[in-house]
Amino acid sequence: MAPIIGILAVIGLVCGLIIYLVYIKVPQRVKGLDKTEEINSILPGMNCGACGHPGCFGYAQALTRDADLVTKKPCTAVLLDPERLEQLEKALGITLDVSAMLKKALFHCNGNSEIICNYSGVDTCKAATQLLSGYKKCPYACLGLGDCVKVCPENAIYIDPEKNVAIVDTEKCTGCGLCIPECPQDLIELVPARTKIAFQCNYKPLRDVPGREKCDFGCTHCRKCFKACEYQAIEWHKEKALPEFNQEKCTLCLKCIEVCPQNTLADFTKAGKAAEAVTA
Amino acid sequence: MNELITIFLGLVLINNFLLVRFLGLCSFFGVSTKLSNAVSMGVAVTFVMALASIVTWIIRHYILIPFNIEYMNIIVYILVIASLVQIVELFIKRTNITLYFAFGIYLPLVTVNCAVLGVTLINATENYSFLGSVAAALGGGLGYTLIMAMMSGIRERLELANTPEIMKGMPIAFIIAMLLGLAFLGFIGMI
Repeated sequence: MAPIIGILAVIGLVCGLIIYLVYIKVPQRVKGLDKTEEINSILPGMNCGACGHPGCFGYAQALTRDADLVTKKPCTAVLLDPERLEQLEKALGITLDVSAMLKKALFHCNGNSEIICNYSGVDTCKAATQLLSGYKKCPYACLGLGDCVKVCPENAIYIDPEKNVAIVDTEKCTGCGLCIPECPQDLIELVPARTKIAFQCNYKPLRDVPGREKCDFGCTHCRKCFKACEYQAIEWHKEKALPEFNQEKCTLCLKCIEVCPQNTLADFTKAGKAAEAVTA
Repeated sequence: MNELITIFLGLVLINNFLLVRFLGLCSFFGVSTKLSNAVSMGVAVTFVMALASIVTWIIRHYILIPFNIEYMNIIVYILVIASLVQIVELFIKRTNITLYFAFGIYLPLVTVNCAVLGVTLINATENYSFLGSVAAALGGGLGYTLIMAMMSGIRERLELANTPEIMKGMPIAFIIAMLLGLAFLGFIGMI
């Protein structure tokens, strides 16, 4: 019996030794992978998966094959970091128009819909929406249970405890879009970072309840903002019955916000400060 | 030479690992949803089978038989195959990264494929010569690849077919496997 065990042990040890030798002796550096390695060292390395690739190394591989991919699916963490961006532009040999590519998450709800019952169930929005579309008067409102907060890699989303509504700190938000599929109410939209006016109501056409009946701050489609704008920066979308904002023409005079009877509009450029005020 | 061809063809068609010997069935159903994946898996299996046959033949004839411990072959073969796949994976990763990503998950998946262990055990029980073992491994691998390609081709087309709701996915795959197996039953007794 003993010699058999000895032989088996020797075979096992030899196998382990060969693996160890291969691990030590075979050189790590590989030809043809230099460019991928170079791009990989520029990427942030947090493997968030927001670019749609399996981790930063997968993204680096895809970029090695096709440099134009960076314009279609940019890594938002790189776009926000000027040092990394410069290195990446140099490595790929292209220049990027960052201001057009940067995105931010915008929540289409201001959270002013009244709470109509006490919800004490499972502490996620997904569970809460299973019961009669949540506990607020407006069935399309932000419930503020924070499914989006949990998924945000930058900790850029806060919950306003008074209104039970999620607020994005636009200074921290990288526009990765990971929060979008988490929201059961479809409140979140990725908008260009230079967006100036935020439309904060989740009204969509063909819905059974108009915003104003369920929420004091819901859009009533009065077109006052459209009429008030002196720079033709607001167009009226007839099918959606909603204002559309032209960010190029907008001068941030904020007249539309003043004139809005429902306070549905907000200054998107100050969203970061609003978030600070809540957390302070 | 004739003997080698007999062994090779015998394992490709007549004693096919998947449909006649019923070895390696988990990957047969798991990986056969896309043609490209199935062929990658087949190539990886063939490669590991050939390597494993060579190494286990050496171990059998220079360690197991001289020490009279042939009955321990299963445990030794499992050990050897597992470490072999580890070494190959490490080696490919360090030397040819493109090939490494082409193999992807399939190389480590082969470690636990019973067809690989099966071919080494068949080599042992049939007492094949060294070249015979290699021929058996290549034949077994080719047969495996062939059936995987056939199965995945059929399953790709089935995605578009109007299958009844209860038969979608795995149930219809089992029925196809049965029909393929019946077809391959016709080869039995040719050699």
